[in-house]
Amino acid sequence: MTDTQLTRAATAAELTIATPEGVLFRLPLAGPASRLYAMLLDTAIVLGTVNGVGLLVYWTFSKAPGFGFMVITLAEFAIGFAYSALLEGFWNGQTIGKRLFHLRVMDQDGLPLRIEQAWVRNLMRVFDALPFAYLVGGLSVLSSPLMQRFGDRVAGTLVVRQTPLAAPAEEFWMRQKYNSFMDYPAIAMKLRRATTPELATLIQDALRRRNELAAYARREIYRELATYLQSEISPFPDELVERLSDEQYLINAASILFGDQRPSRDQR
Amino acid sequence: MILDLERFQRQARPRWRDLESLLAALESRPDRRLNPAEAEQLQELYAQTAADLNRVTHGALAHELRQYLERLVARVYAELYFAPPVRSEIWKPRRWLRIFTAFPETFRRHARYFALAVLVTLLGCAFGGLAVRYDPASVDVLLPADYLRNPGQRVHEEEQGQGRHLDSAQTEAAFSAQLIRHNIQVALLAAALGVTFGIGTALLLFENGVLLGAVAVHYTRQGFGLFMTAWLLPHGVFEIPSILIAGQAGFYLARLLLRRREDRNVRQSMREWLVLVAGLAIMLVWAGLMEAFFSQHHAPVLPYGFKVAVAAAELVLLTIYLLMIGRRETGTGARSTVPPEYR
Repeated sequence: MTDTQLTRAATAAELTIATPEGVLFRLPLAGPASRLYAMLLDTAIVLGTVNGVGLLVYWTFSKAPGFGFMVITLAEFAIGFAYSALLEGFWNGQTIGKRLFHLRVMDQDGLPLRIEQAWVRNLMRVFDALPFAYLVGGLSVLSSPLMQRFGDRVAGTLVVRQTPLAAPAEEFWMRQKYNSFMDYPAIAMKLRRATTPELATLIQDALRRRNELAAYARREIYRELATYLQSEISPFPDELVERLSDEQYLINAASILFGDQRPSRDQR
Repeated sequence: MILDLERFQRQARPRWRDLESLLAALESRPDRRLNPAEAEQLQELYAQTAADLNRVTHGALAHELRQYLERLVARVYAELYFAPPVRSEIWKPRRWLRIFTAFPETFRRHARYFALAVLVTLLGCAFGGLAVRYDPASVDVLLPADYLRNPGQRVHEEEQGQGRHLDSAQTEAAFSAQLIRHNIQVALLAAALGVTFGIGTALLLFENGVLLGAVAVHYTRQGFGLFMTAWLLPHGVFEIPSILIAGQAGFYLARLLLRRREDRNVRQSMREWLVLVAGLAIMLVWAGLMEAFFSQHHAPVLPYGFKVAVAAAELVLLTIYLLMIGRRETGTGARSTVPPEYR
């Protein structure tokens, strides 16, 4: 992970919802680019379907091309609107394109959108698509804090990013098998008792952000933290500390603070 | 403060996983109903997970974990606090047929926006008509298409049947589809332009009025009044009102957007807007069929008197439909406080 990715995550638009239970959560909003891709894909699907249907109709009405043309024209028109409206209305706010690009249309309150909202936001496309290439809709998205095009504003909907759920992996420092600090249970115990929550969080965070920090900054921070722990909180014997890097020192400390390897268990 | 993040995760992970699988089951089939035991389980798991999220938010700097829990809670929240319409409800034909009564009801409830649309169109008509009356040269500017400018030639062509290259039901069918599509698009745009606080809707209606007024005066002055009436009215009696209703929907939307956010009953209003749009779309289907199959036949085939009589009959039926069908509002107030009776 690089620094730029972090800044982008921090500035990306979000919608914050407060539930009746007093839980706050944030929904990440989808930007115009991914929505455009999803729309292009959907357009391709609709055109494909309409042409497929068109061939079938043309073949059926080969004796009466005028009626065939009538059916195709009206079907194309109806499918164009109904495709998005019905899929969004009955399929968790997702068309095929939106599902592939991990987008979902939702109500402004974080609830699924209702069928009438789906229809309104899709019928409003005739305005958002003006004057060409969704210029009005695009400008609306860029100027709206909730990234809504006019159809969304009227229908009270918004498009969120819905990436697959993935529980975070276990912390890497918990995987180490042997922790040399365990050889000194008394000092380890002291470390565990004397560390304030703030300091513990600081250590954890420093380790967690290992790969985001520049090499120089990482060295400095780890050195300061390790020196502080060693001098103020848990004076492990010098012959042990000399063999450890600052980083390893912090990893050992973290697994004593957070992890499975507790001094109390080894003292059985 | 969670000091033992690992133990916390180890303990909570099973319930997150349960919640995830329950959620997946719910999301994959939107019409799925939970049985009481599942519902209870969902509620309980949700409450626990929400509490977990709160602890992580306030007590630990676990960014990914927080994000994961936020997403999980957000999605369960959406499922938990939303009652989708039941499938059997959606597929009831009676529910869909209600559009035919809901449309005139909605039309009457918002009659004042219709009046506004009529007013704007009449202004346009007057402008167009007067312009052509006092400055015949303005026809070149006001009437875009060539064919509208030379009534004599056009009437002659029409009556000879030269206007149509292929005189068959085939061409008429294809023509009707194009008309329906084009008209619905224009009407929909008028209704959607309400989002410009009605300005766009008004401009569109005014322009439409100018065209109507100019054509009417232009043809009448040259002595083709009867031809024009018989040519335009059989479909016009549906087409023009439906554009006016589109204007009504546009102004209604504009009024809604001008209200303060708290005062909007968005859900009900959207439904009304949709009912108006759906109703006018149906009207335009009829108008398109009439225009292609009936209006284009002229004097030798269909006497003008007959065509005008048909148009008059259509107008009477439409008026009766719009004014009489469906539930009567109590009192004469245009505003209704009647709650939506479905859902």
